[in-house]
Amino acid sequence: MQRFRRIVAALALAATATTTVTACGGDDSGDDSGAKTLKLWHYEGENSAMGVGWDRAIEIFKTEHPGVEVRFERKAFEQIQQNAGMIINSSEGPDIMEYNKGNATAGLLSSQGLLTDLSDEAEKRGWAGKLSSSLQTTARYTDKGVMGSGKWFGVPNYGEYVTVYYNKDLFDRNGVPVPTTMAEMTAAMDTFVGKKITPLGMAGAEYPAGQLFYQLALSKADRTFVDDYQLYKNPVDFRADPLKYGADTFADWVRKGYVAKNSASLKAEDMGTAFIAGKTPMIVSGSWWYGRFKAEMKANWDTFLFPGNTLNAGSSGNLWVVPTNSRAKSLAYDFIDITLRPEIQDLIGNNGGVPVAGDPARITDPKDRKLIEDFNTVSKQDGLAFYPDWPVPGYYDVLVGGFQGLINGSKSPDQVLDTIAKPYADGVKEITGK
Amino acid sequence: MAITITGAPPRRPVRDRHHRGVSRWVVLAGVTIGALVMLVPFAFMLLNAFKSPGDYSSGGPLSWPTEFYTRGLRTYWSTVNFPLKLWNSALIAGSVAVLGVVVSLLNAYALGIGRVRGRLWIVGVFLLANMLPQEALIYPLYYVAKEIGLYNTRLSVIIIFTVIQSAFGTYLLASVLGTFPRSLLEAAALDGAGKWTVLWRVVFPNLRPTLAVLLIFFFIWTWNEFLIPLVMLIDNQTQTIPVALASLQGDRLMDAPTTNAGALLSLVPAILFFLIFQRTLARGITAGAEK
Repeated sequence: MQRFRRIVAALALAATATTTVTACGGDDSGDDSGAKTLKLWHYEGENSAMGVGWDRAIEIFKTEHPGVEVRFERKAFEQIQQNAGMIINSSEGPDIMEYNKGNATAGLLSSQGLLTDLSDEAEKRGWAGKLSSSLQTTARYTDKGVMGSGKWFGVPNYGEYVTVYYNKDLFDRNGVPVPTTMAEMTAAMDTFVGKKITPLGMAGAEYPAGQLFYQLALSKADRTFVDDYQLYKNPVDFRADPLKYGADTFADWVRKGYVAKNSASLKAEDMGTAFIAGKTPMIVSGSWWYGRFKAEMKANWDTFLFPGNTLNAGSSGNLWVVPTNSRAKSLAYDFIDITLRPEIQDLIGNNGGVPVAGDPARITDPKDRKLIEDFNTVSKQDGLAFYPDWPVPGYYDVLVGGFQGLINGSKSPDQVLDTIAKPYADGVKEITGK
Repeated sequence: MAITITGAPPRRPVRDRHHRGVSRWVVLAGVTIGALVMLVPFAFMLLNAFKSPGDYSSGGPLSWPTEFYTRGLRTYWSTVNFPLKLWNSALIAGSVAVLGVVVSLLNAYALGIGRVRGRLWIVGVFLLANMLPQEALIYPLYYVAKEIGLYNTRLSVIIIFTVIQSAFGTYLLASVLGTFPRSLLEAAALDGAGKWTVLWRVVFPNLRPTLAVLLIFFFIWTWNEFLIPLVMLIDNQTQTIPVALASLQGDRLMDAPTTNAGALLSLVPAILFFLIFQRTLARGITAGAEK
């Protein structure tokens, strides 16, 4: 019994400690110019565009900083996603690392004082000038950790956006031209349906359904809506356009057979492999697939921007962040600066990535160039609208549940909108306190 | 215990053991089907481990590979530095298995034979500790490890799992030792054996098969642990195999063939370990049945 009490006491003590531990992030912004090692972590694959680009950046860093040892480790995404707070709150963490953008990740850590304010460096080294304003949104966070304004806590190297991938061979064989407007797009899908081919790949169990809904809604939206929805500037009415239009059109597409009813339970991986195997003429999904399609797909394929949209789901990629406990901050800044140089940015572009400050003219592969030009088009017209599940924590599962109901026909568009409206309102209230 | 079986009187001779009717064959068929069903996931893993990513994406997981593709295996081996992870896993699981068994035995000796006051409660607490989800423990463990300078060391994981595993071991062994024949202990006491001698000369030899099974279980359980090593071991130098395997899974993309190849490689040591100690396992399971 004695021992039991002691265990309970120990647990209670530890639980109270957890609430205080994040507060003492440490203020040692002392001079670290003498640092001789740079501990660098990221979680991009060795052969991915970013992996290749950053390997080169490390080489450049080494030649420019003789005598400094770079201790690079490739981490598991899962590990950083789950433990970043614990890791960088200890003395064992890295001096610079890649981290997920968004309120729930970089925003949260910045509000706990675990990340270094990069505003001065961004100004001094001209990073601010290289990134368009919709890219900067995910780099800057307020004191509460809400993205969009405030201090710089991260620097993105690459972008991502939702686009349409299409199978050229299937289009040619069925005599379908590449659509440039929404009317042409539906006409194209009608043709495929007429030939008993489901035109649009879908995966109801994961992000693609929510992103298609968002794309459709964005076709009727402007920047004010995005600011309201993502940055809580004003309350959002789910029963009105553009969200209503998005849900109605989605339901319409399901009814017309553009989207298969049985795709409600599919995963994004299933959607992707079906496209690679040449079974699906089109998918609406993100640029993160690009490298894989390029490496694995045998049929001819290409991309086009979602027709008619100025706004598109998309954002900057993950960020370079410098933990408050970093012991080599000035070296970390130097490294970030190298990754934004044209040489590295072009390298990312030439390997199938989407550089944030790339020059399309220096990208050799025409398909790569198209991908980057499209991104630059979106980015320049301030068209990155982020992702539908971003605004509140746990919203991803809400969206997946809602749109599964829409795909398999168990819910009407209005019912779906009601299901997703309440968690949104609750979540926003929790964040803004209003 | 083991003595009783030699004294058993010979039973009536059974006719021929192959002539016991149809039920035998039904059972055999059932077991065969069960075994095949259990093997299906492994077959898929094996099939996909030797498939190129393009092949997997266009043909799906069920198709026969068009070429014998071993780059997945080689990539996994070199990118995660597999020998190092193997050493880490073996060191951690091995230490935990041995230490866990020793601690369990000492605890159970005190509780089962020593008859400590309130032992029922103590055993209950051990059971409770065993049932606590690891997620609830993770932050306190992290905090303590950080404060005493053990964060990101293999020693921290060894200590944590020794405690967790021995909680189960203590619970199990204490119940086993509760029924330990008192006459044996009294006889030893009459011969002038102290507590220490009784433990090593009387209790330990009789428990050996059970302890061997515990050792194997502790090893395999610790080998497969994911969450605590993921949190506590943040350096690539200290990580274990399951954590290394997780590094193949990206943010939005997965590489199924390489993951399969990695899983295959990671499974081999555990299978080897099982094959080597399988006889001990079988002996330990039947050890209790003879009473």
